[in-house]
Amino acid sequence: MLRKEQNELLTQTGPGTPMGDMFRHYWIPALLANELPENECPPVRVKLLSERLLAFRDTEGRYGLIDEFCAHRGVSLWFGRNEEFGLRCPYHGWKYDVTGQCVDVPSEPAEGGFCKKIKLKSYPLVQIGDVLWTYMGKPEHQPPHPEWEFARVPSEQSFTSKRWQESNWLQAMEGGIDSSHVSFLHRGSLNTDPLFKGSKANQYNLNDTRPVFEVVEQPGGLYIGARRNAENGKYYWRITPWVMPSFTMVPPRGDHPIHGHFWIPIDDENCWAWSFDYHPVRALTPAERQAMANGQGIHVRYVPGSFRPLANKDNDYLMDRAAQRAGITYSGVEGIAMQDASLQESMGPIVDRTKENLVSTDNGIIMARHRLLKAARALREKGTVPPGVDPDHHRVRSAAVILAAEQTFKDAAKDDLIARPGVAQSSV
Amino acid sequence: MPQKTTSLLVLALPSLRSDAMQSESARFTTRNESRFRVDYPNSTARSVKVIALDETGRRLVDQIALLPWARATFFTSLSHEQSPVPLRAESHAVRAWLNDIAGQTKSLIEEIETADVVVMIVGAGSTADAAPLIGEACQLRNVTAVGLVLQDEETTDEAIERTLRKMRQFVTMLVVASGGEYAEAMLTALRA
Repeated sequence: MLRKEQNELLTQTGPGTPMGDMFRHYWIPALLANELPENECPPVRVKLLSERLLAFRDTEGRYGLIDEFCAHRGVSLWFGRNEEFGLRCPYHGWKYDVTGQCVDVPSEPAEGGFCKKIKLKSYPLVQIGDVLWTYMGKPEHQPPHPEWEFARVPSEQSFTSKRWQESNWLQAMEGGIDSSHVSFLHRGSLNTDPLFKGSKANQYNLNDTRPVFEVVEQPGGLYIGARRNAENGKYYWRITPWVMPSFTMVPPRGDHPIHGHFWIPIDDENCWAWSFDYHPVRALTPAERQAMANGQGIHVRYVPGSFRPLANKDNDYLMDRAAQRAGITYSGVEGIAMQDASLQESMGPIVDRTKENLVSTDNGIIMARHRLLKAARALREKGTVPPGVDPDHHRVRSAAVILAAEQTFKDAAKDDLIARPGVAQSSV
Repeated sequence: MPQKTTSLLVLALPSLRSDAMQSESARFTTRNESRFRVDYPNSTARSVKVIALDETGRRLVDQIALLPWARATFFTSLSHEQSPVPLRAESHAVRAWLNDIAGQTKSLIEEIETADVVVMIVGAGSTADAAPLIGEACQLRNVTAVGLVLQDEETTDEAIERTLRKMRQFVTMLVVASGGEYAEAMLTALRA
């Protein structure tokens, strides 16, 4: 349960809000690199943190993320012409470079320098891995580039997708740190999805539906360990790292690629669910890559030409009651990602947390909210840089390990939880 | 960007009954529709017993007990009759008492029998000697037990390990938190 004002603080990320200020301290994923596939390609509309922006790639391959609207008459520059080192508004020909600087106002004498007085808000946009990242905060606070392992491994080892989720970012993110739902919601998929099936871990998940949890703070956020019974008195641990504000990883299974998410606010009622898969030491196989492209694992199939999932609220997520009854899917919705998204969207765009009834196994969620609230207040009141900004905090991994009963995961799996180039994930 | 390989006509995918009211569909998970969520209390207050296991826990319990709570009760220590060491609480055989913040003693067993959740609070490094007794009493009565281990900047990993190891088998949730304010956040979230 959260009080109304706490819920509002956590869920509002527009300019000037405490959580909005906090998100503006991080590099966040803005677009897939293939959305701007070549120089002078069509620009792309992007809404992030309740700001309408336009991304484009100029004649020299420089990326720009600028205010969507022309400073002259407010026309959307999405209609613009991407030509000769800038984006030209089709209405009266005003032209902007990737920094938002106006470089040409045809109706005014060039010698007068009028265009130098016009500049649209812009944010840096850089490619790291398959993703274009932006930083929407004050330039003087801009941190070093992100170091997430999925974005730093060679491209043949990684696959990233994004989907539009019609809910606030927080309820989506909270699903990513809620390990206890796996044994229920996803039980039908664990042994059938090509990117999940075949690992021994699935049996532990399915056999023990009452995991015991340990939540431990780490510098960038939390480790959430879920303990289930294994053989000979040992425990099977699934350890989920959460790095503030919205990075989560799923504990691995067998030699399958590791996966995880970013949950990035579009506005207060929509978010981007970024989903990545990577293998730290080998290329993804053609079959794995094809499965991901086909929307399996944590990815989705789309409404063609969009990032909207094919199964969405307009078609009741293609609910299949027969499959639900037969146990093929637990909720009747196909696919791991949409099993989560359908339920999270069903809560409404911003769930009313004054009505919820959390239990002790929700402590991961309770702690994450607590740390977000604390960090947002510390930033606002003291200017304290929030956890997760430091690239050292990005070098984390999820892990799945078998430990003796007396061992503590934070100690016994310490190395397994660090991203180590060239070292395989710790998995069961 | 996903390719437009399918006719847009396919997109409707009308699994919805054509005669369904819109509010019967997932489509109406809007902010406006949220106004119609039934406004009726969906739970009653839970009985939460908060027990300090050491001096660190006691200081925190003294502090948070002053806040307004629905059905939380706070205990600063546990005392018990002489018992073989280590204490094992097939412990209904053990006579043990909790000391509340007013200095009154209450039967451990009676308190646990009326609890929905028991929260044990302890500083990292503590031997948490009372955890087995309380934890087993909870297990015998199917009461959820939570352990909250408090650390500060000087806490060593070894100290955390020691306490976690002691508590692990007696709780269903263990949390290691920096600073006591998490206790308030957790109890609030649990509607204590």
